Amino acid sequence: MTRILKNRWVDYAILGLSVFLIFCLIFDAYIQLPNLVAWLGRWHPLILHFPIVLLLIAVFLGLTGKKVPDELLVVAVLSALVTAISGFFLGKETPVKGDLLYWHQWLGGGVALVASLWYVLANRGLSGTMYTKMLQVVMVGLVVVTGHYGGMVTHGEEFLALPTNKKEKEIPENPVIYADVVTTILDDKCVSCHNPNKKKGELLMTNLEELLKGGESGQTLIPGDPIKSQLISRLHLPTEDEEHMPPEGKAPLTQNEIEILERWVALGASDTLRFSQLPESEPLVALIKGLKEPDAESKWASLPVVADSTIKNLSNDYLTIERMAANSNALSIDVFSPPEYIAAPIIAMNRIAANIVELDLSGLPIGTAEMDFVAKCQNLEWLEVDKTPVTDAEVEKLENLKNLRLLKIYETPVTDKSISVFKQLGSLKSLYVWNTKLSNEALENLKNENSGLVINLGIDPEIETFFVARDSVAVAK
Amino acid sequence: MKEEEKNNENPLKVNRRHFFSQLSVGIGSLALGSLLIPDLFKGSGEQPLAQQPLGIPHFAPKAKRVIYLFQAGGPSQFESFDYKPTLKKRMGEDLPESIRNGQRLTGMTSGQDKFPLMPSATNFKQYGQSGAWVSDYFPHIAKIADEITVVKSMHTDAINHDPAITFFQTGSQISGRPSMGSWMSYGLGSENKNLPSFVVLTSRGKGNSQGLYSKLWSSGFLDSKHQGVMLRSGKNPVLYLNDPDGISRSDKRHLLNEVSQLNKMHHVETGDDEIESRIAQYEMAYRMQMSVPDVMDISKEPESIVKLYGEDCQVPGTFAANALQARRLAENGVRFIQLYHQGWDQHAKLPTAMAGQAKDVDQASAALVMDLKQRGMLEDTLVVWGGEFGRTNFCQGKFDPKDFGRDHHPRAFSIWMAGGGIKPGLNYGKTDEFGYNIVENPVHVHDFHATIMHAMGLDHEQMTYKYQGRRFRLTDVAGNVIKDLLA
Repeated sequence: MTRILKNRWVDYAILGLSVFLIFCLIFDAYIQLPNLVAWLGRWHPLILHFPIVLLLIAVFLGLTGKKVPDELLVVAVLSALVTAISGFFLGKETPVKGDLLYWHQWLGGGVALVASLWYVLANRGLSGTMYTKMLQVVMVGLVVVTGHYGGMVTHGEEFLALPTNKKEKEIPENPVIYADVVTTILDDKCVSCHNPNKKKGELLMTNLEELLKGGESGQTLIPGDPIKSQLISRLHLPTEDEEHMPPEGKAPLTQNEIEILERWVALGASDTLRFSQLPESEPLVALIKGLKEPDAESKWASLPVVADSTIKNLSNDYLTIERMAANSNALSIDVFSPPEYIAAPIIAMNRIAANIVELDLSGLPIGTAEMDFVAKCQNLEWLEVDKTPVTDAEVEKLENLKNLRLLKIYETPVTDKSISVFKQLGSLKSLYVWNTKLSNEALENLKNENSGLVINLGIDPEIETFFVARDSVAVAK
Repeated sequence: MKEEEKNNENPLKVNRRHFFSQLSVGIGSLALGSLLIPDLFKGSGEQPLAQQPLGIPHFAPKAKRVIYLFQAGGPSQFESFDYKPTLKKRMGEDLPESIRNGQRLTGMTSGQDKFPLMPSATNFKQYGQSGAWVSDYFPHIAKIADEITVVKSMHTDAINHDPAITFFQTGSQISGRPSMGSWMSYGLGSENKNLPSFVVLTSRGKGNSQGLYSKLWSSGFLDSKHQGVMLRSGKNPVLYLNDPDGISRSDKRHLLNEVSQLNKMHHVETGDDEIESRIAQYEMAYRMQMSVPDVMDISKEPESIVKLYGEDCQVPGTFAANALQARRLAENGVRFIQLYHQGWDQHAKLPTAMAGQAKDVDQASAALVMDLKQRGMLEDTLVVWGGEFGRTNFCQGKFDPKDFGRDHHPRAFSIWMAGGGIKPGLNYGKTDEFGYNIVENPVHVHDFHATIMHAMGLDHEQMTYKYQGRRFRLTDVAGNVIKDLLA
């Protein structure tokens, strides 16, 4: 009965497409697609979603003992066949198929053919039998595995891998430029499209040999000539340009990464060159050092969010609050001397204390209250309390500012008692202490403990003497 | 209360023109929004730079402010920083055509049938770890050679003063664009609300001078609050800032309150943003009545500082006084401090005139750098020293090594920079043995602007202002950041 109700055209279509698919899969190597047909392949990523959903629904109904509607099965099977064939067309764009694509293709073909078989069984009235049920189970497995392989082809093999902490990929003390730095950048930004499975533009970027071989648009890497190397030149094109790499939608390289690649190519694209072999003047040295320590903005990424309205409310004519950069919650505070100084506006910034990385209180009559506030600014990197009456007792409050990089405390009454506090400031790089009661011995002692610290004691006396002795006024008149 | 009622009469605060212009933006953005629907799914939380609010750097800056010691007239590189012994060896010989290579000349030398090479009027020595060559005219700058970076490969498009200085200040040879300082004020906002963010100080040497016009510090098409404010020497640094006799500060306050109400009413009627800008400027002027005299009062500077800058700095209107002033303004959060020292146009009598000019600025320029350094301000203040172009390696007029002149030369000249994220102690760029053409690392004026903006945390390609249908940049459509100069 059921046979008669069926449209014969559906049978023909399913048979025809199945035969065509088998033909394609077998004679893969001999097939050359006309342009328009190849273009049909581009629809694969769109239509593939239909068979996945429809087949899974059909299997669910079948396995739970419900009747699978004929229309559902027909559409599911047809979409599976069309998807497999379009997928085959798309696969033809990749000249040499890698493992992933190979398996995806055969598994996908399998899904479509098993679906056709199901259609045949269903039409013979074998819907409820053990054969169909087994076939349905196999089908689920095939759909899942095919989909997974397909996903890896488009998004890269690592896509579903558990997130690994990027810091684990630490650059060694004396890195090999190619193996430890360049490949990290390429793996991160290029290889997801230029790998054996998805060889875009016939270019493989997984090893140096392949890079030197280049892709379909010619030479990718010409050692010593970054301008002619497409590896570099394409990075510099405007993002709107078709040729720009990585293409729109993919994460672009950072300026630092571009420069590293560029210098590496300029230096001959060697795979043995080590960091220690570079002369100090080589820009690559600074670039790689920059890679090792996080840049300012990423350092501030974890600061709590501050609203613009908060900034506005806490500012006044003599207190300026600025963001360190756009989209950054790190703040820089400048306080200027108002006609009548009060501490309240400074203390009121308590609620944004964690966001303050730069604070300028120089020249203000600050006291204990303000310094208590400063002590709460845990992320402070830059502090100016020069030309203020701060004393040792108040400086003591600063001892927990672990990120403090610069401290201006010149022209203050601080004494040697503060040295022990300065010693605790592990990140301190610049210290301005002229015109204080600090003794040279104490500072010498401090310098021995923190060798990276630059202590500024005012203008070099030799230069000062020279300037005073050679005053320009006499001749100018 | 009354004011609120007024506002309610016209709650949209728009007039016909604003209504239509905003309507078109609204409809346009709807249409655009529908075209860009895929973007809705990108889910990236980052805003593109162009949409970011003004007054915030694009990325964390190295320099927060600039002190630009402009040497107006075009100081000769051959008597300052570009040492060329070949000129001495080939003294008096005609400049080979292969070197001049078709370079256009000004009307002042184009009539000359010979271009005799002229060696430096003074001697050069190398200084510091960097081994920078500095002429004997600049002993103090020589002393701080390791603090500064000399760029010997600057080049410009203009050959005459006005277009050249306009080009340096605004990125265009034709007047009308905003000045560098205005762009910085527009892009970064003000650090201290009681002072203008862009201040200009001028001084004049005894050498041959060319005019300075206020167009050089104009805000062009940017909001007029970004315009440079010229502080004069003497009793009234800002003209008409002080109250007339018999007006007390509270009278003034009262007056301003009333005027600002009137202005607000007008703003409600017309929706013209320049009115708001004007109200803000009145308020700033009121605060400047207190802050300017305070900043300008150098009598509190200790003896040691006066000695450092030279006794000149106590004479108002000298370059030394302005340099000291510049430091005080920088300390008080002025974003861009532009000094001009006139008198560097040595078409004749170069040896004596240039020595005098150098005397005017040498000690104070170097003192400024050292003073900023001891205050830790060199870490976030960029100092720039240079003119609008260089001078020719051949003499203008009669050949006389004792008394000669040099004409304008745009193809290669020297400037120096210090602090603010610039590598110290670097000698950047190289000219040929005649000092005529650049052979290594050229730096165009657009590159110079791009680099300074980068140091200030601004992407020169992103910071634009749309005016008359076009987006304008300080760097026009050119300019590359010179990374080698950045620390």
